[in-house]
Amino acid sequence: MSMIAGHLEPYLVLSGLLFSIGSFGFLARRNAISMLMSVEIMLNAVNIAVVAFGAFVPALAGQGIAFAMLIIAVAAAEATVGLAIIIAIYRNRKTPLVDEYDTMRQ
Amino acid sequence: MSLITALIRAASESGEPAAVLPEYAPLLLLLPLGGFLLTAAIGRRLGKLAHIVPLLAIVATWALSMSLAVPALLGDLGEAGASRELFTWIASGDLTFSMGIHVDALTGALLLVVTTVGALVHLYSVGYMSHDPGYWRFFAYLNLFMFSMLLLVLASNLLVVFAAWELVGLSSYLLIGFWYTKREPGLAAKKAFITNRVGDVGFALGLMGLVAVFGTLDIPTVLAGVAAGELTGTAATVIALLIFCGAVGKSAQFPLHVWLPDAMEGPTPVSALIHAATMVNAGVYLVARMSPLFAASPEAMLVVAAIGIFTAIFAASIAFTQTDIKRVLAFSTLSQLGYMFAALGVGAWVPAIFHLITHGFFKGLLFLGSGSVIHAVDGEQEMPKMGGLAKKIPITYATMLIGTIAIAGLPPLAGFWSKDEILGEAFKFGYTWVWLVGLVVAGATAFYMFRLMGLTFWGKSRIREDVHPHESPWTMTLPLILLAIPSIGIGVLLGFPVADGIIVHGLEPIFHTANEMLGHEHAKWQLFGIDGILMLASVTVASIGTAIGVRLFRSDNGDRIRAITARLQPLYVGSKGRWFFDDLNDLIFVRLGGRVAHAAWWFDRRIVDGAVNGVGALTSSGGRGLRQIQTGRVQNYALGIALGLAAMAIAYLVIGS
Repeated sequence: MSMIAGHLEPYLVLSGLLFSIGSFGFLARRNAISMLMSVEIMLNAVNIAVVAFGAFVPALAGQGIAFAMLIIAVAAAEATVGLAIIIAIYRNRKTPLVDEYDTMRQ
Repeated sequence: MSLITALIRAASESGEPAAVLPEYAPLLLLLPLGGFLLTAAIGRRLGKLAHIVPLLAIVATWALSMSLAVPALLGDLGEAGASRELFTWIASGDLTFSMGIHVDALTGALLLVVTTVGALVHLYSVGYMSHDPGYWRFFAYLNLFMFSMLLLVLASNLLVVFAAWELVGLSSYLLIGFWYTKREPGLAAKKAFITNRVGDVGFALGLMGLVAVFGTLDIPTVLAGVAAGELTGTAATVIALLIFCGAVGKSAQFPLHVWLPDAMEGPTPVSALIHAATMVNAGVYLVARMSPLFAASPEAMLVVAAIGIFTAIFAASIAFTQTDIKRVLAFSTLSQLGYMFAALGVGAWVPAIFHLITHGFFKGLLFLGSGSVIHAVDGEQEMPKMGGLAKKIPITYATMLIGTIAIAGLPPLAGFWSKDEILGEAFKFGYTWVWLVGLVVAGATAFYMFRLMGLTFWGKSRIREDVHPHESPWTMTLPLILLAIPSIGIGVLLGFPVADGIIVHGLEPIFHTANEMLGHEHAKWQLFGIDGILMLASVTVASIGTAIGVRLFRSDNGDRIRAITARLQPLYVGSKGRWFFDDLNDLIFVRLGGRVAHAAWWFDRRIVDGAVNGVGALTSSGGRGLRQIQTGRVQNYALGIALGLAAMAIAYLVIGS
């Protein structure tokens, strides 16, 4: 297995930055589509971290990629189901804004 | 083929075949039941003819029961009697309760009283109740009572006996409260029902005990088990006393006697039938029927004898001063029932049942006579407002005089024979205290009964001016005359020669087991020996009581009586107030019991309900509070998740490092 040059830290910093952007987006945006995209960003941030660990930590060699594949698959499934739910709600409520989805609230 | 072999096996297994009752025997139950159902359904439309069906049903029942009771008493049905299985009532696993009827000499004795007095009371009621708007209802209830009472004495399973026991209680309740629009009868009916419930709890527990021991309530099986010594010691005492509880309630013995005097609020025929001649005897019957069970426990026998003889003197002392004619008779009934229980308690089984028979006739006569008196003086029951009625209503007077002499125990009338046998056997079995108290009660009985006669029939008239006493119609006087005949003769017929009469021959086999367990042996009766002396003593005491009663109340002796009562003021007040037993019950159960119940109610409402409601209130208010953080905004939840994750991460870093 070929080793990549450089250090682990820059990858983790990039991963952390992306995760923070995703979290911020998820918490700050009111549009359901945007929130779903933020979730995708967070998942991919994690993916970078996992792959980076797989490349730099000898003990995890090879396993990181397998785990990343799993996460990509889960992300795809999540996006599919999530989008389907959002579209269904949108058809009912005529709005993509999540703070107006408050029927269950008394 | 298999059917035939089964039949042969069944025939051979039965061994010594007990006599089978004829096929018409269940009619004894079906006739009154049919009369009740028919009258209840269409009686209202029959109006003044409503008595025809019930009366005919009871007369037919009487004829049928005589055809069984007479052979039973004469011993023609064999010692074990005859029975007939009707159907299986309850089958539950190993536990089976079957509905069957059984007639032996003891049943025969009860049938004799129940159906004879029952039929005559039905006839009497035709006259007595003729002006009542509830005419049909009265006859329906009477037939229901007759059905229940016959079921009670005929049933061969204690569970059926218990069901019938409750049914007679129900009929009694309905008939005491017959005039339900008035307050007192309603209260008296409830009092009777509730007081009986107290005893019935004991009875039910006793039956459960018997099921636990024997696994069945079939009377012959249970009694055979007891005779074989399968139930002894404390268990026998406890079960016997529990069953005796039921008898104490139904037969109105101390301390559950309070309901019977109040039960006199019911129509007089009811007082005569249910509360003098039949239902109140059910307790005596039950103890007699279960005689081996009681014989297995000397302690239980002692309790029965003590309660019986105490009730006898206690009730007699109250009867001295009551002024309501029916109340005097009610207390007299209590006293005589006490006599029977005392007899059972000392092991004088046959005299107890003998007294049950004679008492049923003469007390039924006295009650019906008192009804005739009340009828004559326009509903007045207070003896101080009667007097001098002897000439105005001669038939009632003559028959009641016969009843009075019979109950007083003067020979040769009925009461003498049975009462003398009770006292004689009590003495010979070594219960001198029972004999002594019984002797005093015998004198007291004669005294208060002649007081009743004096106040009612003798002396000057104290009746209201506008009331004109008149003799009752034939439907009422005929039963009086017909009851006067056995009141005179049944003692001699059944009890003579003493210790060798029909009653002894008939009933002795029934109590053979119990007597053997007690070790009682009957010495030969000697006129010129101990028995003659005892007989002389009881006749003497009865005569003294009679003499004092007649002397004091023959003519208007008001001043003399007042002087005597003034001298015995405390006793007079106690007796007049029935020794304040109703007040004591009021204090203990209504006032103190009410306080306890009130406290329990408070505890239930505040503490028990409070705990349950408190948990509910806490949950709902907690939920209401927690609802505030459920904003319904996705971002808030996400923030919560993020903060939570951050907190966990920090905690990991801090603790983990």
